[in-house]
Amino acid sequence: MRIAVCVKHAVDEAELKAGSDGAPVLAGAACKMSTFDKNAVEEALRLKSAHSGEVVAVTAGPADARRTLKEALAMGADRGVIVGTDAPSADTSRTAGLLAAAVRKAGPFDLVICSEGSSDTYSGQVPPMLAEALGVPYVGYARKLQVDGSVARAERLLEDSVEEVEAPVPLVVSVVSEINEPRYPTLIQIMQASKKQVEEYSQDQLGVPTRPASVRVTHMAMQTSNRKRVTVEGSPEEAASRLVQALEREGVL
Amino acid sequence: MPLYSSEHRRLTEFYHPEKHEEFSGLLSSLGEYMEKELSPLSPRFDTGEAKMGPARKGLLGQGICQISVPAEYGGLGLPFSLYANAIEMLGTSDASTALSVEIHNAVIEGLLKFGSPAQKKESVQALASGERLASFCLTEPTSGSDSRAMATSAVRDGGDYVIDGSKMFITNAGEADTYMVFARTAKGPSCLLVGAPNPGLKFGADIRKLGMRGSRTSEVSFSGCRTPAANLVGEEGKGADYAHSILHGARIVVAALNVGIARLAYEKSIAYAKERKAFGEPIAGFQLIREKIADMKTSISAARLLYLHAALLRERGLDYASEASQAKVFATEMSLKVCDDAIQIHGGYGYTTDDLHRHWRDARLLTIGEGTSEVLRMLIASRELAKSL
Repeated sequence: MRIAVCVKHAVDEAELKAGSDGAPVLAGAACKMSTFDKNAVEEALRLKSAHSGEVVAVTAGPADARRTLKEALAMGADRGVIVGTDAPSADTSRTAGLLAAAVRKAGPFDLVICSEGSSDTYSGQVPPMLAEALGVPYVGYARKLQVDGSVARAERLLEDSVEEVEAPVPLVVSVVSEINEPRYPTLIQIMQASKKQVEEYSQDQLGVPTRPASVRVTHMAMQTSNRKRVTVEGSPEEAASRLVQALEREGVL
Repeated sequence: MPLYSSEHRRLTEFYHPEKHEEFSGLLSSLGEYMEKELSPLSPRFDTGEAKMGPARKGLLGQGICQISVPAEYGGLGLPFSLYANAIEMLGTSDASTALSVEIHNAVIEGLLKFGSPAQKKESVQALASGERLASFCLTEPTSGSDSRAMATSAVRDGGDYVIDGSKMFITNAGEADTYMVFARTAKGPSCLLVGAPNPGLKFGADIRKLGMRGSRTSEVSFSGCRTPAANLVGEEGKGADYAHSILHGARIVVAALNVGIARLAYEKSIAYAKERKAFGEPIAGFQLIREKIADMKTSISAARLLYLHAALLRERGLDYASEASQAKVFATEMSLKVCDDAIQIHGGYGYTTDDLHRHWRDARLLTIGEGTSEVLRMLIASRELAKSL
């Protein structure tokens, strides 16, 4: 089975700091593989070990995104593909178009796996747009995925229900983090990942014309939450009743 | 704060300017693994609610002991300072695991330095990958710092050595597959490998300790314990020199481990000082608390630079025995003081909370183990006094 897995070089939200105007400082912010993409890579690797084949990690982003590809390669992807772009990640149709062109060029693939959304901007728009651009079915929010011959079966995790669906391959699937526990690459695997092949496609090579961004981010603000830091002390019984009183005072009980 | 912090990243950049990105990538990945798989278990190792073995196995499988092992023995062939840095992170994540792994690695170091090609081939790869666990058996019930006074004997009998005697306070005892044993032969103290299980090898009960409670410590006794003559490491009679050489390297790592313990106690203190109020304001606002915070941070930074300096001397093939001892004396005594200050800052909660006073209890071992502060001061002083001014 040939599987493409899409990964994003996302801003590391844990390291994000607010500037003096309250907006997150994105220039020079630390980046890493989007957290949920590790689940997508893991699922691709599990399917590969069950069916054999190849896993290709694909990303669209700046040159630094090679580091994220390297993470996917360390986990076990066979090779990587990067489409160099400085397009803002808010322009999701642009990202989906570039990924679709790269997937076509590096393919054919039976399956394209994405995560449900990125851990920085979390729009969740790229996977369905990618399926549309490739002209294949889309199954979103899979918490379980298996492929039997030419049919993929998935359990979709919805807000208050689980839906079982099947679709013919090739298709695009987005997975939720519940689907698996991503593996940690060993130090040796991380070092060996540098030796794996990474191919770079330019937008010209892919024949994707450049155009102005369809979406522009006009303002971004950090959410602030001020904690009250109430400490409840005493024996377990006393502490429990004081906690209830405190919660009642706050109007949450 | 991530285990591999921005301070570590900056130091890696300064010390290894050409490869810092690769090195930082490796260490931060290892740090993430520890934070997820090990740190949450650490308080439970201390109370005995969880056993450390499986987590240690997982960590060794990630390759922590392959870092400075040459590629021909399945290692990464990277600088020793990276391994020391990894042990610092491990000291923060779980001190007991750090102790166990550090002793295990000391045996690997010993084999790399003094082992025969066959011993290296047979053992180093399996130990470095964590497939096998090692234990270092030097101290005896009646000889510690005066290791040359060892009573355990090894007598050549045909193709074997027969070992009799006992070793005390042995980390990883009963869990390890390979024991590096120091015993007296006709030519004096010698170093032998003993594989487990072995009918002549017995282990005492797990010794209850003040700290480092996640790691198993017991007496190891040898009674007619046979090991093939091919398991002699290096030459007969040179065992004490080998042991001292191995311990010099291990002292850098013990220093790193203590920096790691101190860091955790320090970070808990910062968080508590900002939260705990007295006289209507957070205690972090009081000068006497701020003085403690400043001194804790300064001494942690100083100890880190001392162990990194000794590691760099070692990487460059220079003599580092005195610097390693300086790093160990300073870092172990520093971490005791920092963990003590942490208890003071936490007040009554510090004295009564296992998850806080365990750091002091863990740190307390290492002004004793692997060279007491007293013996190491003797070593440092005699080196200094031997220099002509």
